[in-house]
Amino acid sequence: MLEVQDLRKRFGDKVALDGVGFAVRPGEMFGFVGANGAGKTTTMRIVMGVLDADSGEVRLDGKPLTYDSRRRFGYMPEERGLYQKMKVAEQVEYFGRLHGLGKAAAHDAAGELIERLGLTGRRDDAVETLSLGNQQRVQLAVALVHSPSVLVLDEPFSGLDPIAVDALADVLKDRCSSGVPVVFSSHQLELVEQLCDSVGIISGGRMVAAGPVDELRATEGRTLLKVVVRGASPGWADDLTGEVTTDGDRQVLLIESGDDQEILRSAVNAGEVEHFGRQRPTLAEIFREAVA
Amino acid sequence: MNGLWLVADREIRTRIRTKGFLISLALSGLLVVALAFVPKLLSGQDSYEVAVVGAVPVAAADVTYTKYADEAGARKAVTDGAVDAALIDDQRVVSEGELDQRLGLLLESAHREGKIKASGLVITPLTVETGATAQYQSVRTGIATLLVMVLFFLLIYSAMYVAMGVVEEKGSRIVEILLAAVRPWQLLGGKIVGLGLLGLVNLAVVIGGGLIAATATGLATDFPPGMAGIVISTVVWFVLGYAFFSVLAAAFGSLVSRQEEVNSVLTPMTMTMTITYLVAYFAAVEPEGTLARVLSLVPPFSSMVMPVRTAATDVPIAEIVLSAALMVVATVAVLLAGARVYNRAVVRTGARVKLAEVLR
Ligand SMILES: Nc1ncnc2c1ncn2[C@@H]1O[C@H](COP(=O)(O)OP(=O)(O)OP(=O)(O)O)[C@@H](O)[C@H]1O
Ligand SMILES: [Mg+2]
Repeated sequence: MLEVQDLRKRFGDKVALDGVGFAVRPGEMFGFVGANGAGKTTTMRIVMGVLDADSGEVRLDGKPLTYDSRRRFGYMPEERGLYQKMKVAEQVEYFGRLHGLGKAAAHDAAGELIERLGLTGRRDDAVETLSLGNQQRVQLAVALVHSPSVLVLDEPFSGLDPIAVDALADVLKDRCSSGVPVVFSSHQLELVEQLCDSVGIISGGRMVAAGPVDELRATEGRTLLKVVVRGASPGWADDLTGEVTTDGDRQVLLIESGDDQEILRSAVNAGEVEHFGRQRPTLAEIFREAVA
Repeated sequence: MNGLWLVADREIRTRIRTKGFLISLALSGLLVVALAFVPKLLSGQDSYEVAVVGAVPVAAADVTYTKYADEAGARKAVTDGAVDAALIDDQRVVSEGELDQRLGLLLESAHREGKIKASGLVITPLTVETGATAQYQSVRTGIATLLVMVLFFLLIYSAMYVAMGVVEEKGSRIVEILLAAVRPWQLLGGKIVGLGLLGLVNLAVVIGGGLIAATATGLATDFPPGMAGIVISTVVWFVLGYAFFSVLAAAFGSLVSRQEEVNSVLTPMTMTMTITYLVAYFAAVEPEGTLARVLSLVPPFSSMVMPVRTAATDVPIAEIVLSAALMVVATVAVLLAGARVYNRAVVRTGARVKLAEVLR
């Protein structure tokens, strides 16, 4: 289990992290979301040891991280960086070896990843000749080549086409199901919702919500009552607090509060009820509310 | 340690494939070979033909006399270039253009000798005794001068590459994932070792090329007896100087994030190297001067001044040992401070990092 505990970090007068903490269990995919400048990258850089925290700690399986345990992590920094003139396969292999793989093992692992990430045709091209998205795939291969024991990926999906997003999602699910804790940050909330078991929302250097996606949806944000009525006369719902949108002869109501049974009765009286049910907030809604 | 070798291995492979490396290797090799031929070209003629009209003078070393019937014939031979000069009636010398200085002296002394003999006077020529090393003095100065150029070129060139490599990794942010895999000292050490080995290869080509060419031109017969010592001392001092300057280059380089800033941030180092070069050049000509003697002990000047002095003159062993010891101490100090600067500065991308900030 990867535990981030009460990290604090300031840059000069600017407080970047003000007590950030979360935990990622083995085999869990953790989505790290937050507005620009919220502190995601700073947190991940501290986890990787690129930055030192002012206080707080990162632990793996209860033990503070050391150089050797970090060396088995897979890391994709926010600012991508590769040797531009080095060939794709050579580069992935080189990083495999730096992370401690033998020559043959590094070669095989690099070949397999290059294929899975759809770079087979480019393996002997210099990185600088690749498009940005393809360079990003190489960056991912570099982060994954040594079968890391923990994955820390800063916005791994940004800039990828839908095919590559699927390919990466597959690879991550694979690694995850083999018991690796995966942390990634992203601004694509639907994707996070779809992929992740848990999410953490950070705002202004503090965690504002963290936990399994389902739990957050049940407890965080507002659960609205959604009613769709057809052929109702306008004005029947004037007494209710909520939002009404009209689409032809169909009215869609999102109601915040009220006696649901009462609302159902008046809806039935007003017209033909097509839909009646509670609507849980999406991650995007929880996010907006949490960081507002 | 494995990490360091992997990094070194990559540096070597990458660098060896570049045109720049091959060109510098070829150029530096060709330069010494060419220089080995220079003395032969400059030494001028070693035998002369002289046309003689009238009395034939006393024989002179390296001069062959050819008799001509009259002055006109002799003058024509001079104009045609068949002879180097003509001697008319043992009184006048005719030459095309300026008379070769050595030939002039030879003819003059033959002339005097003839006259003295004729007067019945007997002169025993002076006998000359020289110290064992004096006869090699000019060759040693020549070797030392060449050494200054080679050492300066290789040191500044290799150190520059270390700095550029550091900045490339910092600027492209690849250092962040590199440091997730290897320790900073492995990354820095690998780069320095890799590029240093290539510098040694270049040095070997220069020394080897020079020695082979010198043997081919016959110059090697003039080499002083301690040639092997000079070669070994050059290699050892190159390693010391390279260790010192490359660490300095890496530390300064790690302060900036863009290649365009490399030159300006390295200025203090290149200035030091240039001063070292000038002093070493001076030491090649005047190896016993006070400046040369003092700076051959002071690091990092000693890294070039001492090998040059060793080549130019006989330096007491105690001085060499003291100088090497001081240089090693200085290198270790630079290594410790430099590694500290590098560790702290290399992940701080963006604006130029202040040296004072990272040294604290
Ligand atoms: N090296 C630095 N020097 C000064 N301030 C910094 C530095 N790095 C980060 N910060 C500040 O720390 C805060 C958190 O930045 P961070 O990069 O962690 O945000 P983020 O959540 O990753 O944002 P984004 O979504 O834009 O990537 C920001 O206010 C930023 O300005
Ligand atoms: Mg970020």
